This record gives sequence, C-alpha cells and structure tokens, in this order.
Amino acid sequence: MSNYFNTLPLREQLNQLGVCDFMDSAEFLDGVNVLKGKKLVIVGCGAQGLNQGLNLRDSGLDVSYTLRAAAIEGKRDSWKNATDNNFTVGTYEELIPTADVVINLTPDKQHTAVVTAIMPLMKKGATLLYSHGFNIVEEGMQIRKDITVIMVAPKCPGSEVRAEYVRGFGVPTLIAVHPENDPEGKGLAQAKAYCVGTGGHRAGVLKSSFVAEVKSDLMGEQTILCGLLQTGSILSFDKMVEKGIDAGYASKLVQYGVEVITEALKHGGVTGMMDRLSNPAKIKAFEISEELKNIMRPLFQKHQDDIMSGEFSSTMMADWAAGDKNLLAWRAATGETAFEKTPAGDVKIAEQEYFDNYTLMVAFVRAGVELAFETMVQAGIKPESAYYESLHETPLIANTIARKKLFEMNRVISDTAEYGCYLFDQACKPLLADFMTKVDTDLVGKNFNEGKDGGVDNRTLIAINEALRTHEVEVIGTKLRKAMTAMKSIKTA
Amino acid sequence: MSQPVVHIANLNLKYQQKPVLQDLNWTINRYENWLLCGTSGSGKTSLAKAIAGVDHSYGNIKIEFNAQSNLPATVYYVANWFQFKDLEGQSNFYYQQRYNKQSTETTATVKAELESFGKKNALQFNEVDSILAALGFSELKHSTLIQLSSGEHKKLQLVKAIWLKPQLLILDLPYNGLDTLSRQNLNTLLEEISEAGTQLILISNDEELPSCLNRFAVIKEGQLVEISADERTGNEFDTLDQAVPAFLAEATVASSSAEIIKMIDVNVSYGDKRVLKNINWEVKAGEKWVLQGHNGSGKSTLLSLICGDHPQAYANNFHLFGNKRGSGESIWEIKERIGLISPELHWYFDPSATVFQSIMSGFYDSSGLFCDPGYSKKIQTDELVSYFGLDEYKNTLMNELPLGKQRLALLARTIVKNPELLILDEPCQGLDQQQTKHFNRLVDGLCKNGTTLIYVGHFESQLPACIEKRILLENGAVKSVENILENVENEASIENVENFEY
Repeated sequence: MSNYFNTLPLREQLNQLGVCDFMDSAEFLDGVNVLKGKKLVIVGCGAQGLNQGLNLRDSGLDVSYTLRAAAIEGKRDSWKNATDNNFTVGTYEELIPTADVVINLTPDKQHTAVVTAIMPLMKKGATLLYSHGFNIVEEGMQIRKDITVIMVAPKCPGSEVRAEYVRGFGVPTLIAVHPENDPEGKGLAQAKAYCVGTGGHRAGVLKSSFVAEVKSDLMGEQTILCGLLQTGSILSFDKMVEKGIDAGYASKLVQYGVEVITEALKHGGVTGMMDRLSNPAKIKAFEISEELKNIMRPLFQKHQDDIMSGEFSSTMMADWAAGDKNLLAWRAATGETAFEKTPAGDVKIAEQEYFDNYTLMVAFVRAGVELAFETMVQAGIKPESAYYESLHETPLIANTIARKKLFEMNRVISDTAEYGCYLFDQACKPLLADFMTKVDTDLVGKNFNEGKDGGVDNRTLIAINEALRTHEVEVIGTKLRKAMTAMKSIKTA
Repeated sequence: MSQPVVHIANLNLKYQQKPVLQDLNWTINRYENWLLCGTSGSGKTSLAKAIAGVDHSYGNIKIEFNAQSNLPATVYYVANWFQFKDLEGQSNFYYQQRYNKQSTETTATVKAELESFGKKNALQFNEVDSILAALGFSELKHSTLIQLSSGEHKKLQLVKAIWLKPQLLILDLPYNGLDTLSRQNLNTLLEEISEAGTQLILISNDEELPSCLNRFAVIKEGQLVEISADERTGNEFDTLDQAVPAFLAEATVASSSAEIIKMIDVNVSYGDKRVLKNINWEVKAGEKWVLQGHNGSGKSTLLSLICGDHPQAYANNFHLFGNKRGSGESIWEIKERIGLISPELHWYFDPSATVFQSIMSGFYDSSGLFCDPGYSKKIQTDELVSYFGLDEYKNTLMNELPLGKQRLALLARTIVKNPELLILDEPCQGLDQQQTKHFNRLVDGLCKNGTTLIYVGHFESQLPACIEKRILLENGAVKSVENILENVENEASIENVENFEY
C-alpha cells in the first residue's frame, strides 16, 4: 500500500483538497429514505459507535453491531454497550455478509487489520463507511471496486452526538465520497441519509473529500487543538510557579482557564474571546499574539508540509511498527510534568477572572487558531474545512483538559492526534524559550488591569478591533456558527 | 425573650435588574419554624438563598447559632432545583441519558455519595438507614446517580438534610414529585428533627405540612408579611381561568389509529433489576387515563417507552399508534403525535431558550428552537403566551425565570400543537392550587375533541374531571386497572381509592 494522495497528479490533488460545500438544508429533505430497510452493521461499539447507532435506530433504521470474536466471548465493554441497549451483536462472519452498509468505527490504528478482515466478507455492491480518512488517504488502503466508500464524520465526541440528537438537534458533520469507489454513484445520497439518521443535518453539513478531511484534520489536531494547548498550558504553569504564584491556584487557572476562555471562542469566535478582555488587556494580547504568530509560523508550516508530503504519516507508522516506542515515552513524560502532578487548589476562580488573570492563554489561542487556519488555507484547504479543524474543535479539546488535564486530553484524542501533539510540543517549547523570559505575572497569574488606569489610545484600539473582526476565520466562522447557534454550552463545576 | 436566630434588617435584592426584595425585615426566634408561601416570582427562593449564603446579599443578615447545641452550626439549603456530578466533577448530563446504557460507570452510587457526605460532616452512619427507609429509598442504595429519576434525586437531597440536622434547615418546594406516603413520612421526620432542635424554613404552597410549623408568611412587594395559618391560599393573578384558546378548542383531533397503545407482556430490566414486569395495557383513541403508583413503581419508565425515549422499547412487543415499535418508524414520528410534560423534560430543558422559543419548540418536539416556524405558528404561540400570562416574559430566557413561570411556559409548549396524545406527568409541579385547578380545567376543555390523555398525579383532588380510567402500578407491575365513572355517586368511591395510593 502506498500513500494515496502522493499517487495523484497535482491537478487532482488540488481538486480533491478543494472539495468544500456547505450544504443547504434542502439537500436533506429525503431524510433517511435511501437507507430505509437496509441493513446497517457497525464495526466497534465505543463512544462513537454506540451513540451513532442509538441515533440511527431511533431514526427508524436497522442497526446491529459486529465485534471480534474475542470481544464477544470476553463480554468486553463494547459487547456490553451493544447488548445492554438491546442491539443484535454478532461476529464478522455472521453479520458482515448480510450488511448493505458496513460502518467502520474502530480506532484508526486498527483500520488496516479490520478492513482487511471484513472486505472479503462484504457482499457485492455494499457500502463501507468511515468517519476518518487516514486509512484510505495515508495508508492507501485499496477497497474492492464494487464497494462504495463514503465518510460521515460528526465533529463532536460521541456523547454529544447523542445528547444533541435526543433534544432534537445534532452536531456539525462532515461527509465525503471517495472518488475511486463510487461505482453506482449512490455514495453521496447514502452519506446524506446517514447524516440525517444521526441528526447531523440540523447543525450544518460540510461536503468534503477524504483528502481534504485528512490533511486538515491532522494539521488542526497537531497544532492548535492539542499541541499548542499542551505547550501553552505547561509553559503558563511553570511561569507562575517560577514567579511565586501559589501552585494550587496556578494549576486550577490552567486546567479550567482554557475551557472558560474557549467557551467564548465557541460562541463568538476570536472576536468574542478577545472582547472578554479589558481594552488595555486586549491590546496587549493582540500584540503578544502577533509576536507568537511570527515565532511559530515556521513550525506550523513545517507541520503542514510534512502532512502534505506524507512525511508525518510515514514517521508515525514507523513508530507503530516499533511498538509505539516514541509515543509511549512522550506520554510518560507528559504524565510527569509539574502541571500534571499538581492538583487544582481549592480556590474559587470567577469566570471573568479566568480572562483577566490568564491573558497569556487568550493570546496563545488567538495566535494558534489564526495560524492554523492561515497555514491550511495557504496549502489549498478551503476556509470552511480549515474552520472546522481549527476554531470549531478547540473548545471541545479544552473541555478534556478541564476534566483531567493533559493526560486526559491525550487519552481521549486519537493515537494519531496524540502522536502529532507530542511532536509539536517537543519543537514548540524551545522555540518559545526567549519569548517566555519576557512574560511576567501580569499576563499569567494576576489581574492584568491591576494598577493600570484602563486608558487606551482610540486609534490603536479601533485598528486592532478591525484586524480581529475582518480575519477570514471570523468571516467564515460567523456564517458557519449561524447554522449551529443552539449548541449547548459545556459546563464544568 | 429568646435570642433571635436570624435577624434580617433592610435586605435589598435585585434579580436581573429588577428589585425583588426591598428593605425586607425578618426576625426568626429560637423554636420558630416558618412557612414561606406565595406567588411564583415573589422572591421566596432569592430570600432563602440569601439566608443560606448562596447568593450575594445587599443588606444585613445576621445568623446567631446556638453554641450550646450539639447540632451543626450551619444553614443547610435544599434547593427546588438540583444538580449532581459525575466522578470527574461534571454535571453535563442529557435528557433520558439514564436509559442509554454505557458500560463504564461515570457517576457514584447512592451509597458512595452518602458515605462521602457522612464522612465530610462527621455523621453517625447508623442513623441514615431509618431515614432511607422512611422515604422509600433503601432499595436505591446501589443505584448510580445517573439512574435516579428527578423525584429520587429530590429525595436524596432530603435524606442528606435530615441526616445532617443543621441548626437551620431551609427546604424549597420539598414535596415536588413525592408520593403520598413519602410526604407523610417526610413530615414526620421534619417534626422529629425540629423536636431535636433544628429550626425550619419551609417554602411550599402545599396543604399537608408538618405540625411543627408555627409562623407563616408571604412576600408581598418585596416585604415579608406575616399571615395566619389559614390565610395561606394561593391568590395569584391567574389568566388560566379563561376559555380554551380558539385555535385549540375548535380543532378536532384526529387519531391516527383506533388503538393508541398496546403493550403485551412488556418487560424492562437493568441487569438483575426488573423495573417493569409483564405489563399489559391497552389505550384506545380518546380515552382519558390516570397513571398512578408510588415513587419507583415504574411510571416514568413506562412513559419513556411510549415517548420513544427508552432503548428497551425495541426489545418488547409493543404497539404505538397502530405500529409495532421498531418497525421502521423514527422517534420523531412518534413524538410528533405526543404532547409531553414531565419533571425530567423540565429538568433537562434548554435553559438558554426564551419563553417564546420554548413554547414554539413544542411544534418540533425539540428542547430549544432550531428553525424558523413561520407566521401562523408564531401567531398561535403568541396566543398561548398571553393565555398563560407570560406576555411580560416572552423574550426572557428560561433560566432567568422562577420555576413556576418556567413550568407555565412548558405547559404551553405541551399543548401548542394540539397533539392526539397528551402525556402529562405531574404537570402542575411548582404551581399553586388555584393554577392547578385552572390548568386541569384547560385539559378538560382540550380533551373534548378526541384527544387521548395519560395523566400522572399523586393527589386525587388535583386531577382533571375528564379522567375515566385508572392504571395503578406497584413495584413495576400493574396492580389494577379500573374505570372511574363520572357521576356524583361515585365521587365517594374515588375518595376511597385514595387510600389505595402509596
């Protein structure tokens, strides 16, 4: 198997990277009809598998689960998830041959093994559905020519997929059809119907391609989503401790701050987040985030270049082959950082205090979101795709940090994201060493406004507001957020 | 004269820029137990929270604890609304999540929760069992928090409060969702702890109250007004006492099937625990039912099957609107025909929707509004906004309103589409008696045109007149099914059956 993207001529590479269509709700008027009466068999029953299946069944579709024989015999969690909710469960041999649509919701790393096992069992003309394109694009998995290959990727954790569905809404979703495997031309109609079945059509659907999804997804998760949040959190904590701020307070500010700050990002974009600062703090945050963008731009570009060339995935797959040597070492090191080992103190921090005392993180988030977005768009990815993989997902990842810090974040995200995150973090910390020596507690740990009179220069403020509001990520974000206005706010105690 | 326990001087409180309490004065002396009643939105909860130190107050509240007492020198507040957290400290749960099984437990068990509460407050563990038994909670010790119904969460709060025996205990609408026996037992427990030295402030508009209450008050125009024991009837300005809105009264409700519900040996169990046992039940189009049973008898589970909220519906022989469940229908096609209100629907309802959006979302059975419904639906919604007396709050967010007003908005949501099946699960929680009476009269009016009704209510005196059949559950099984005849002669027999109820 060889990297699919690299086998394509430039023309076709650009063509597939550029598939990006924010679909009108009128495109979904046929509902789930295309899949009515068809047999849907889901491989794997983790959080995504279970919750998507519950939604699909509640939409009137015929859903069952297939698991490896060992998981059934051992009555593992995946088996319990499916049987406790009264789904039929069977082995690959029992269920795959009956399936009209096989939904592969196993972890990325298992895709080659799983798809190799199920493909010979699939009936002629069936459909194989992925929720991430890594296996097709980076590993170059070849699917039998009679099989239709589609992707439906809800852009939220599994529990949210269910929670939003039961209240009559859904989560933003990305769909795609693999151009090499659409022999009957039914791929798009099936992907749309599946999307209706999970409720995604109510919250905005982006038609993308396997290629665009993979190249933007990898970029987002390595840089702004996981990488930069990890680097920023660790540097902020260390700085506060160095400057004599109480370690318990510092730990709490960092653990929950990123969630509170990105909650503002979720509702109002970069503008909404920056508007939570006082005027002098906003000007300062703008200035240092400009500086951060300049420092980190080459690193963001290197990540995007390695993703495009396939360098990233081949390096990572080599680590898979080596028994995850690097991944495990980096994971262990993350567990040993002072931030991870210092429990959040028993202090009350008011919502606004997270902004006023953690201006540095606001600057990190603005720099990271804009840089990731700009770098993706420069590489040929469309703004809508770039938005989902940068700004949109940042609050979701921040939520995992609030739950149990970085270790939890890295446990929840995919192995691919985790690997990329460490890669970025290793390179980014030394890059920011000089910058961090200039940072003091007014930016992290204490109220920025303390001892200042709050006055600002009108023209400076106007220019900064203008720069923030007219950035392309804000323009496209305003449009996309309208489609998902009702998204529930995530609450942490 | 004894030293005052609580002394409030010139307390001012604002809620959303509107003054709620204005120069309020209140002195609570030792051995006094107060009842605080009155209209929704008058400031009862705000005052309670201020005393409990939950909210910032702008005035002067002094609490003098009794140094000689061996009871904890603290004010404990049991809120009318409650939250619980998972093991990671989050309270991010969703509607009917408890029916969707996940293999990994994310919430603590009741036992673990009580143990940590007991340890934190240095309580005697041998005391808790009798409280659990009195409130019918013993069997739930091994349940996890996510599995509890809203009524059961309420009871858990009460168990903790009574176990703690604080010097001052404030209970905000403690009877909501409790069955008759639990209410009686709660009153006995409250009388006992009051005897032992706990002073009570009880917020309630209910009739049957503990005998230890000796002072009574309402809040009027931001001030506390003391009243006598028999003055405490609801006198809220009430627009519900009008004819049914025309767009609802005139429409005949067409039933999509002669048989609305048919359950054959329906079972629901979680592991070894059987929650519903061989339920057989038929509801024909146009019938008006009351569903009764003690807390934990299986009422909510039974209704969740009907409303498309329970996964085990797919594993049972169960017909809804003439179709077998799991034969290709979606839950949205089912919900389209049902108007539902329940404590849990209220608990999980989108708090960031406005009153207008919330009512209109009834057309789509969603929690919050996600599309533009067009002109005629907006007009109908407006009519209901006025009918329920909510004009002033039309664009107010749900979470900025007191519970009683939220409840009125959700009742309007329930009927806005004039559904063929109305499921009203304790619809009048949080309303006063007058409002309850009027709402039930509205239900009678609505049901004239062929609507099928399933009504859950613990009190016979608070049911709509149109009820003609009763199904009674006990420990997950049908205990009895009977006709209730609509004439004077039989009113006596209805009274008799009241004793029947748990």
